[in-house]
Amino acid sequence: MVSTDLDTAAFALDDRRPKAAFAPATDAEFAARLRACDASGEAVVLFGGGTLQGLGFVPERYDVALSCARLDAVLEYEHRDLTIAVGAGCTLAALERRLAAHGQFVPLDAPRAAAATAGGTLAAGWLGPRRAAYGRPRDFVIGTTVALADGTLAKSGGMVVKNSTGYDVTKLYLGSLGTLGAILRVNFKTLPIPAARRLAIARLPEATRARAAAHVAALAVEPAAALIVRGFADEIDGRDGVDGRMLLLFEGSERLVARATRELRSALGSAGVPETQLIDAGAGAAFARIVDAYVTSRGRRSATYRSGGLPSDAPLRLEAFARVARVNELELESIEDARTGDVIARVSAASEEAFAERLIAFDGERRTVLSEARVVAAPAGARARLDVWGAPPASLATMRALKARFDPNRTLAPGRFIGGI
Amino acid sequence: METSSAERLRERLSAVLGAQGILTSREDLGSYAFDAFCEDRLPDAVALPRDAREVAAVVRIARDCGVPIVARGAGTGLCGGAVPTAGGVVISFSRMNRLLALDAANRRVRVQPGYVNLELSRTVASHGLFFGPDPSSQKTSTLGGNTATNAGGPHALSYGSMSAHVLGLEYVDGAGEIQRADIDDAGYDITGALVGSEGTLGIVTAIDLRLLRLPRAIRVCVAAFPDVESASETVSAVIGAGISATALEIMDRTIVGAVEAHYHAGYPLDAGAVLLLEIAGEHEDVEYAEGAIAKLAREFGALSWRSAATPRERDALWASRKGAAGALGRIAPNYYIQDATVPRTRLPQAVHRVNEIARDHGLTVGNVFHAGDGNLHPLLLFDRREARQVAAVSSAGHDILAACIALGGTISGEHGIGYEKRETLPYVFTPEDLATMQRLRDVFDPARHFNPDKIFPSGAVCGEVRAPRDPVAAGA
Repeated sequence: MVSTDLDTAAFALDDRRPKAAFAPATDAEFAARLRACDASGEAVVLFGGGTLQGLGFVPERYDVALSCARLDAVLEYEHRDLTIAVGAGCTLAALERRLAAHGQFVPLDAPRAAAATAGGTLAAGWLGPRRAAYGRPRDFVIGTTVALADGTLAKSGGMVVKNSTGYDVTKLYLGSLGTLGAILRVNFKTLPIPAARRLAIARLPEATRARAAAHVAALAVEPAAALIVRGFADEIDGRDGVDGRMLLLFEGSERLVARATRELRSALGSAGVPETQLIDAGAGAAFARIVDAYVTSRGRRSATYRSGGLPSDAPLRLEAFARVARVNELELESIEDARTGDVIARVSAASEEAFAERLIAFDGERRTVLSEARVVAAPAGARARLDVWGAPPASLATMRALKARFDPNRTLAPGRFIGGI
Repeated sequence: METSSAERLRERLSAVLGAQGILTSREDLGSYAFDAFCEDRLPDAVALPRDAREVAAVVRIARDCGVPIVARGAGTGLCGGAVPTAGGVVISFSRMNRLLALDAANRRVRVQPGYVNLELSRTVASHGLFFGPDPSSQKTSTLGGNTATNAGGPHALSYGSMSAHVLGLEYVDGAGEIQRADIDDAGYDITGALVGSEGTLGIVTAIDLRLLRLPRAIRVCVAAFPDVESASETVSAVIGAGISATALEIMDRTIVGAVEAHYHAGYPLDAGAVLLLEIAGEHEDVEYAEGAIAKLAREFGALSWRSAATPRERDALWASRKGAAGALGRIAPNYYIQDATVPRTRLPQAVHRVNEIARDHGLTVGNVFHAGDGNLHPLLLFDRREARQVAAVSSAGHDILAACIALGGTISGEHGIGYEKRETLPYVFTPEDLATMQRLRDVFDPARHFNPDKIFPSGAVCGEVRAPRDPVAAGA
């Protein structure tokens, strides 16, 4: 009988529960725990806030959960350097608060910031909507300390903002879903918070959609985020979402945001858009609710897909989702990101039973037209029957070789990653 | 390599590449024995492939013959990264130098590795776009070489170094197979791991790059300060106050003197240091930022402030900054450029230490640096015919790196480790850190055919420290 420090129920993945769960208090303890599991053949799933554990397959073996919850300290923060080092378990909300006190932020834009951790968000490879304006989360990570499966503690990068010293091994762990090593410490570079922020929400009747999108694409002041949303009414403003909505986030100096607003009103007005609501105070919170929507589900009667690609072909990919959903009698809600090209598609049915029946057929058909789309949220038990990773890229063999070299005993979340890595 | 086996290697390469695709004469090979840091032995052959298929064939032939493969862009590297220290085949990309595809709507471009950095921004300007990283060597250095070193340049302050701009790569691995990786692929970020690997993990044959929208307004200003310390303190204050500048560059009196004599761009000669700064964005933000920075500069003792009135004036200020290293030819026969990064608040201390170290070694130093990023480039001036000076330069260079590490910094901001700094790497990373990096290498090039003797320490006692060679048309 393996002893456990924590209630294992909190670490269940779908219907699978580990035999033991621990939250080590130091990097060394974390590494030692990992090494012991590796030596005894116990499979380990790494936990941050658990907010993105719906990604990937459910691991084929799962004995021990290792949580970074106690590695939550701010380790170094010299605010005048615009760099900060935190333990992997530091929540995004805590990070945001600490940085905001000095007028700084890191543009991670991940869902459920109160629970999500820095390490977990990066391990999940989360990509948010503001990356077109500020860069990807990976571009803000200037160093990491990682525990490998055999207990090796290794760092790469450092606490400087410009670095060409040794391999950038950090890049491999970001997006690896905890299959190559456990991120224990993250060094970020930060940005100054823009002086002004405004969220514009415009109702978008179908007839105005194409013109409004074209006019917005031509704005002189580029929005930090530009999303065309259908459905997700509860997440946005609780209003009935018969029409689509366009959400535009502007960030910059007061004068710039004021000019952006004038240009936007004129652009949308000439496209025939009936009304635009502006949110200043609370724009950040309203925007965070939309980001939360990326992975929220409607109980057991919905699944969410995410498709990445060129901004110019996002409308086509959305149309493909709509077609396959229609054929399979599923309701479609969507977020189309005009700046990054992301398409988030949530399909649902009125009842659990109807959904379970139709989802498998939907997934099979979308494979042929949206082979790159990945599943980001699905009812427990459904993931094993879905093509959650989409078609594997040409580099799959190299990825297998990386896994074999970094985690030869397949201790870390075996079977969870693409291609069953 | 023995003559007969060298002959066999050349014959096989020639069979694949044709007579135009290989160089073997002593004179030709001599041009590939050095980079902007040092000169070493001649390669056995220089391959000039035209496409990825030919690169893959070259890699397989070299592997069969058991000789190293060294990829080379324009040879402007400052750490010996492209020098064939163990002979073998140098792959030059002079015939793979084209732009392959431009997708202006999605702000992406695909280029061959031999495409020159500055050409890219010039070519896409008519679409209202530009490319972010702008190393001072950008007139000659290639995007393949920039990718290998994770190059930055003055504008890395706001746009980031190469790794933030490379969206995908086609490369040939150690087995001679053509591979593809894209940062938007599901799975591990192979692209990210390859950028900055200095030709030791694979030979890049095509690069997908992110392009940026040209800013509406650009303001370039010059502030004069009594000394480097007050200029550095201003930069730290600007960064700390969260004011967005796209570049913050400092040159000391030595550098300004050389630059003015050469370029006549109008830098003040009586100042101890000048701050060259650029602010770009929308008009409103540029106006605001200039006012805020000028105010801080005055608080830290700026003697004067000038804004470039015309694009021509602006370009002249930048051209002379980027040509700073070359301009030093006027005041010393040789120079040795160092590259290190410190946390930005440590900049004044770091510059102070650099000057102390130079003085203790009886050397003249010129300081030109990417101040906003904490990225220092001390230039130590010497005459290579004087053995004592050469030894002093090596020793001072080492002490400067040690001082930067002690201040919480690192030993390369944008040039890479190459051959020059490999014995210094263990001062930054533990044996476990380095062994983890080697795991990566095991996956891509287990036989270590790619660029041996680079990045990682030899394991043996540090040998002779190389004398820096004559300055080539490269800079910081």
